[in-house]
Amino acid sequence: MTSAFSISLSELELDALTELVNLGVSGAALSLREMVHEEVVLSVPKVAVVTREQAIATLGEQESKRLVAVQQDFAGDISGRALLIFPETKSMELVRAVVGGNLSLEDIAELEQEALAETGNVLLNGCLGTIANNLQRSLRISLPEVIYGDGAEFFAAIPSRESGYSVLFIHINFAVRNRDIRGYIAMLLDIPSQLALKDLIGAFIERTTGQVYVPSSNVG
Amino acid sequence: MSANADLAEDAILDAVNGGLIVLDQDARILRWNAWMAFASGHPVASVLGKPLTGVFPDLDLRRLTTAVRAALASGASTVISRTLNPAPLPLRTRSGRTLLHDITVSPVGERSGAACLIFVTDVTMATRREKYLRDQQNARYDAIVENAPDVILSIDSGGLIQMANSAAVSQFGYAMGDLIGKSSSLLFDTAGDWSSMLQAVINDAISFRSCELIAVRKDGSLSYVEASASRWNIGSQGFATVILRDVNERRAVDAALRCSEALARNAAIALADLNQTLEQRVDERTAQLMKAEEALRQSQKMEAIGQLTGGIAHDFNNLLQGITGALHVIQKRISGGRIGDIDRFAAGALESANRAASLTHRLLAFSRQQPIDPRPVNVNQLIASIEELLRRTIGETLQMTVMSADDLWLVRCDANQLENAILNLAINARDAMPDGGTLLFETANAVLDTGQARSREVKQGEYVRLVVTDTGTGMPPEIQARIFEPFFTTKPIGKGTGLGLSMIYGFVRQSEGSVRVDSKTGKGTSIEICLPRYRGDLEVHAEEVAGRERRAGSDEVVLVVEDEPMVRVLVVEVLKDLGYYALEAETGTAAIRILRSSQRIDLLVTDLGLPDIGGRLVAEAGIATRQNLNVLFMTGYAEKAAGSAFLDGGMEMITKPFSMDELAARIREMIERN
Repeated sequence: MTSAFSISLSELELDALTELVNLGVSGAALSLREMVHEEVVLSVPKVAVVTREQAIATLGEQESKRLVAVQQDFAGDISGRALLIFPETKSMELVRAVVGGNLSLEDIAELEQEALAETGNVLLNGCLGTIANNLQRSLRISLPEVIYGDGAEFFAAIPSRESGYSVLFIHINFAVRNRDIRGYIAMLLDIPSQLALKDLIGAFIERTTGQVYVPSSNVG
Repeated sequence: MSANADLAEDAILDAVNGGLIVLDQDARILRWNAWMAFASGHPVASVLGKPLTGVFPDLDLRRLTTAVRAALASGASTVISRTLNPAPLPLRTRSGRTLLHDITVSPVGERSGAACLIFVTDVTMATRREKYLRDQQNARYDAIVENAPDVILSIDSGGLIQMANSAAVSQFGYAMGDLIGKSSSLLFDTAGDWSSMLQAVINDAISFRSCELIAVRKDGSLSYVEASASRWNIGSQGFATVILRDVNERRAVDAALRCSEALARNAAIALADLNQTLEQRVDERTAQLMKAEEALRQSQKMEAIGQLTGGIAHDFNNLLQGITGALHVIQKRISGGRIGDIDRFAAGALESANRAASLTHRLLAFSRQQPIDPRPVNVNQLIASIEELLRRTIGETLQMTVMSADDLWLVRCDANQLENAILNLAINARDAMPDGGTLLFETANAVLDTGQARSREVKQGEYVRLVVTDTGTGMPPEIQARIFEPFFTTKPIGKGTGLGLSMIYGFVRQSEGSVRVDSKTGKGTSIEICLPRYRGDLEVHAEEVAGRERRAGSDEVVLVVEDEPMVRVLVVEVLKDLGYYALEAETGTAAIRILRSSQRIDLLVTDLGLPDIGGRLVAEAGIATRQNLNVLFMTGYAEKAAGSAFLDGGMEMITKPFSMDELAARIREMIERN
């Protein structure tokens, strides 16, 4: 079943990936700090590669149905879609955290789309860019778009890519102005991109450790 | 790239209604369109080849620089909106005002790192329009919300406060900035109630009205609020607007009211308790009082009985003294052979004995157990016969008047008792008039209607009315109410037994009549006796018999049944004196044996109270075999025989003690009638 297909990462590979994500997220935190002129703390408690169904199930179990996401597509050696996902109920909070000040609810509501887009944009660019830089691969990353829906809608197959997708599922905590908001970064990757990612991770490990890295298997 | 193409490209770039900057891989300006030149005030010639920091040396361009670096290094596209970045570049509109703008930074070319495009969009008009609309809306909104005395909060579906009015700030004590974004459940002591209410409002769109909650202020103090909430939406997001009304004052008033109500209630309960206790105490006291009264009555009775028996004993002693004294003298005269004036002493003894008999009559009348001997009586004649006695009794200081009605009806009663009653009333009247006055006796016929009869507790019909009126001291109501009670007397000890009026009452009621008192203090007393009319003739001979003594024939046989030997001997002696033949029986059984024999018996004289069989049964046994047998009962105590119903035809009764003459007269009468 193609939809259940996903790359299998070894513990070392997963550690390397987590490290990459952490690098990306801390870059994003710096960018956000520039933006909001406040201390911004981003942390990544968990990274996992799951099937699309698992990702949908995880979101369905842990979050309310209504979700909001900032979505950016990327293309290059690896292609796919990156999403920053929050429960819809937290989006105002996120915007208020980023914007600060005593803005009225109406003002916040008005700013919400743009602020969400820009915040998500900074975070996703940070992650994707850091990964791309460290993997020494170039990507083209689109402008952000804010979408509402549930996990199933977010992870619907990208029509132009027929093959199965996996989801690199990153739990993320976002703390600014005494507000702590929990969310997810999800990267939908098609099979070639997953294989490329695995190779790239291997290369990253070799560069980082100075040793030849032989992955146990390509696909699990 | 040809010059034409270059020109065409520049012309296109210059025609775009927005700012376009193209940076090369070293982030130096490669293109700068006309819009940018105008808005920034920097002509294209002055900026080409410079980095952005060279064009805007005083600006903090870190955000833009990062975006450019990301685009060149990783092919990332970036949005820099006016929302989060007010005036990223110092741009002016044609009229010289600040130009509001959004910026996007994107990589250019297939391979990243070659160049990047900065695109600037003018959003001044749109922003101004939005601001105008919002300000207009806010003005109306603020007028309501900010001036509202109630706390108004807008809360998102996550329970976070998104809007608070100034009343919220003063009510809860938090700064506005602290309130916004705060979890609303932290504002409530009753957080559970609050959360479920909020969930119902936001998820199920149920509006709440007047739900009371306890809020917590920043300083930890509690505040009672009445919450109402309703849902509204921004886009797909649900919000609740909650209005919290301060009800502390109202609660305090309510509490005070409840407190006073509770006090009133407790007071009412206490009062009810008190009442109950009081009732109980009254009951107890009443019971005690009744007990005390009963004890008092009992002791009064005992005292009265003491007085009475003392008086009676005294009287009896005197009488006995007279009798024994006379008998002693008689005995001595007989033994001495001097029998000349023995009659005088015998008469004295008899008189004493008669007075003793009268005394016992009175006692029995009081106990209402005296066998009455009713006969037709003319009240006028009776009064006339004792008038002289009455006058002597009341003395000379009082006037006595008798007003007798003509054609007065006869009554049927015991004449002796009626005499006694009249005498008693006369004596009472005399005592009530120590300083003189008038005593009036009136007689009249009276027909009592239903009402008059009922007030006298008698049957309606014809009565003879006797009224005895004095002009004496009279009686207050409380004494009037008691005058018929046995032993009740207002006289000093020794002057009266208190039996007079009660004896009258007993006699009159026994005769199916009535007695009433009408008296006022200082105005005298009037006592009315009503006795039922007797429709019949006066039996004149009854009066005559007593005095005469006639010797009868010698063959009539009389059976005497009496267990007391002395009485039996006396009766037999009387019979022998009368010339009758007497048979004696000591018991009822013996009497019945004789009655069932063929022995001639003209009259049965029997005691009612025999030790074996009662006199009444003996009489019945006799009548069973001898239908025309006449019976004379003798009795000294005959409660059951007191009414005339006891006596059938041919039966009569004589009450002990009786005189020998009286007995002789009755026996003779009965035998002769036969």
